[in-house]
Amino acid sequence: MAKIGKLPPGTERRARQWRMRMPLALPGRFFGSRNHARALIATIAIAAVIFPLIHRNDADIDSMANALAFAALALGLNIVVGFAGLLDLGYAAFFAIGAYAYGILSSWQLQPEWTSLWEPFQWLGLVAHNHTSAGDFVHFQVSFWLMLPVSAAIAAFCGILFGAPTLRLKGDYLAIVTLGFGEIVPIVVRNWPSLTNGAMGLNGVAPPQLFGFDFGVSATPYYYVGVALVALLILVSLRLRDSRIGRAWMAIREDEIAAEAMGVNLVRLKLLAFACGAAFAGATGTLYIAKLQTATPDMFMFPVSVMILVMVVFGGLGSVWGVVVGALILQVLQSWVLEDLSGWLHALGRLVDIGWLQHVELASSIELIFGIILVFMMLYRRQGLIPATRPQPALNLAEQTAQVSRGGFASLAASPAARPEAPSPLLEISGLSVRFGGLLALHSVDLTVPEHAVVAVIGPNGSGKSTLFNAVTGLVRASQGTIGFAGARLDRLRPDRVLDRGIARTFQNIRLFPNLSVLDNVMIGMHARLDTGTVGSLLRLPAARREEEAARERALEILALFGNRLLPRAEHPAASLSYANRRRTEIARALASRPKLLLLDEPTAGMNPAETLELAEQIRSLNRNGLPILLIEHKLDVVVSLADNVVVLDHGEKIAEGAPDLVRRDQQVIRAYLGRTAAFA
Amino acid sequence: MSEYGVLLQQVINGLSLGAMYALLALGFTLVYGILELINFAHFNVFMVSSFIGMWTLEAVGISGQSHVLTGLALAGVLALAFAVTMLAGGVLGVAIERFSLRPLRKVRGPAAMITTIGVSYILFNVILLGVGAESKNYPNPMPVVRWQFGQVTLELREVLIWGITAVLMVALHLFVHRTRLGKAMRATAQDAEAAQMMGVDVDRVIVTAFFVGSALAGAAALIFGLYYNFTSFIIGYTAGLRAFTAAVLGGIGSVGGAMVGGLLIGLIESLGGQLIAVRWTDVIIFSILILVLVFVPSGLFGRATPTKS
Repeated sequence: MAKIGKLPPGTERRARQWRMRMPLALPGRFFGSRNHARALIATIAIAAVIFPLIHRNDADIDSMANALAFAALALGLNIVVGFAGLLDLGYAAFFAIGAYAYGILSSWQLQPEWTSLWEPFQWLGLVAHNHTSAGDFVHFQVSFWLMLPVSAAIAAFCGILFGAPTLRLKGDYLAIVTLGFGEIVPIVVRNWPSLTNGAMGLNGVAPPQLFGFDFGVSATPYYYVGVALVALLILVSLRLRDSRIGRAWMAIREDEIAAEAMGVNLVRLKLLAFACGAAFAGATGTLYIAKLQTATPDMFMFPVSVMILVMVVFGGLGSVWGVVVGALILQVLQSWVLEDLSGWLHALGRLVDIGWLQHVELASSIELIFGIILVFMMLYRRQGLIPATRPQPALNLAEQTAQVSRGGFASLAASPAARPEAPSPLLEISGLSVRFGGLLALHSVDLTVPEHAVVAVIGPNGSGKSTLFNAVTGLVRASQGTIGFAGARLDRLRPDRVLDRGIARTFQNIRLFPNLSVLDNVMIGMHARLDTGTVGSLLRLPAARREEEAARERALEILALFGNRLLPRAEHPAASLSYANRRRTEIARALASRPKLLLLDEPTAGMNPAETLELAEQIRSLNRNGLPILLIEHKLDVVVSLADNVVVLDHGEKIAEGAPDLVRRDQQVIRAYLGRTAAFA
Repeated sequence: MSEYGVLLQQVINGLSLGAMYALLALGFTLVYGILELINFAHFNVFMVSSFIGMWTLEAVGISGQSHVLTGLALAGVLALAFAVTMLAGGVLGVAIERFSLRPLRKVRGPAAMITTIGVSYILFNVILLGVGAESKNYPNPMPVVRWQFGQVTLELREVLIWGITAVLMVALHLFVHRTRLGKAMRATAQDAEAAQMMGVDVDRVIVTAFFVGSALAGAAALIFGLYYNFTSFIIGYTAGLRAFTAAVLGGIGSVGGAMVGGLLIGLIESLGGQLIAVRWTDVIIFSILILVLVFVPSGLFGRATPTKS
């Protein structure tokens, strides 16, 4: 068992020093400081509350209420597209489901005959007994306040039902499938008149009531419900974003394979994102339909899905405040600005006597404007109005040129942990074969990694080294053979389960999450070791808060293991790091999962000799602390200095195994690397 | 007419629709094969082209369906209309690639696809605002000639549609398999980077794919107008989605697959409308789209795309 949890002396102090210099724990990345953020939020909240009191124009309050409904939808789509990176082009379908759920259950659409079975529901107040001359019927009158969460749940359930088979499709295919779903739902609504009244639309949907006050048709009460709903959804979005769940979503968005290899259960988290987005849309649908008191299938077609997408893209993919602002601006543009502009143009047209100017209707060109916004944002400002991540100040000259300090490992190198005489095997691979179509990438390979050991795998390019790693970590399926780890079988496990068992890896071609900070990258490594679930994150329970704080501390301590290489850059996006620092971050991310075995795929590739030496030393000190390591490496001096045992692969077969010095002199190995003539020279 | 005769007649209709979908599907497949991009702008390149075809026919003096031409005059007018429409469609496609997609070529994620949605919206609304929402009577110089085979009626326009489609398909096949640029295209579809290193001008290949695909959409658009005798700003969406389904069904990226997929979708549309109900046609087609993507994402003839790691 590795003792990475116990850190070398000095790291904690260093980590704390950095923490004091950097405002790491800020809640809103968009605001300058915590106090500014609070003041701004309070101002917005007060403005939202007093708006209908000072501006007593019912039509304007009505369009603001609509704008709030679309802001709520944009927040939901932002979770799906912005956080988790799942492009959903049929999002309006969930809006429709929530709308019709309330519409059907609180109107005269369904009137089954009254039987005694309905009595309990009558007692609960969900239905009424309706006596007519034609007979006794059931009148559904489920409360709006009950339907808000129920519609959300129904939509979320539909999201899971639809998502379960489709969410494993890659990005653009998923977009098409969701588009198809978005088309099917309104068609079904149109073609099922007994339930939905078809193309004619639902009518007479009951308005909400609160303590005997009927909302009726005046816009103001709906406006306040909209404000409350948007405020709630903002809070939910922010809390999810800054939690273990949100980090995992963003990891999926950035690199699915790496996310899975770092312990993220792709299916569960994608479904969760889909269900959350659908739930937001379901609740909003209920509000929207209660306000309109009618629903037709045309209200939920493809243009609505695109409009919500435009709002999210315009405001900033993944930016909670951005999408709200984006939705409000576009709605206000649609219902106020374009109307007013048209009015002015008509006046101008009358003034200068130009006929067409008097008939211009700019509001009808709103979709054209949406299209232009979409293209313009993608070409010139992909991060949106309010970017999700704030640009980090570059390091100053002193920090850039600071003397490199080697961090925690160096101090440990002199004190090797006691090693048992006959170490038991930790990883046992026997008869492993991997086949890609006609190519046999690995053929019956045996390999053992004992506790505490460093085993190196070498071999020419294409000899199957990385395939071996992929087979062990579950990224490719072995066609034959077994992989045992700590007494249990690993083969047939998904990558995230393999990580959970205690094997963490790095990738040959570095798979960090490029747009996430170094710190977040490392914290995603801890995903499998943290427990906070959706509810814990939403309520921000003390346990969840403590866990998050501890995780952050530990991530910083792990970064501190690399001295001042990574710590000053903890808040920088991983994409901005140098090549060597990206390799170090990937190792830090793997270490964060508290592995029992570390798999390093060419960790020193692309490093200069000094950096190679530094990293080799750090790897050795990791091992001295008790962490077994399986290593792929081309630099033979690194292999010789680190490895206890070397396995040589060529064309998918193991051709030699033994102590580094022996293997280096093996004729077969020399032939595999340098060719036949070299071997006999 | 007996049940059997009705079905046979629907097969004839389905083949005509299928020819149109196949031409439209080729545009999706050519672009996807090379860029792995679903080009939503293609929907409305088709729609805009149908208007260009209409204006071309009107420019040579055809209006409505009463102005019938025969013989060489008919052939000449049709050849001109197809040439102008295909050229205009192709140029539009190339312009879209050049100005809205090329700057995004190196950008990861859905940016390029979102851009094509935006472009599609712009085209849609430009026609809606410029031409109006009402559908237009399509000028059609073809005489109404019918042949009766037992219970089945075959019309001249259907035979012409099949003939034109066959000619374009053969031409495309020869282009892709017999020319240098076609070979460069196939190489780029396999591995753009390797092709570039071997001296293939990838930009030129991509422009060609957009031009050819959009020109075929132009041909499909003219066929739509001549077949249905109307056009409107909304035709791009439904026809485009059906053609896309055809491309997916045949195996997106596969030229032969797009042709077969197009015919299948045409048949499914006409026979499904006959056997089940027209109002469920879209549900059937979208269900096929979803089921194919979920269970056989490589389609009937597609190569299984290797996951890029």
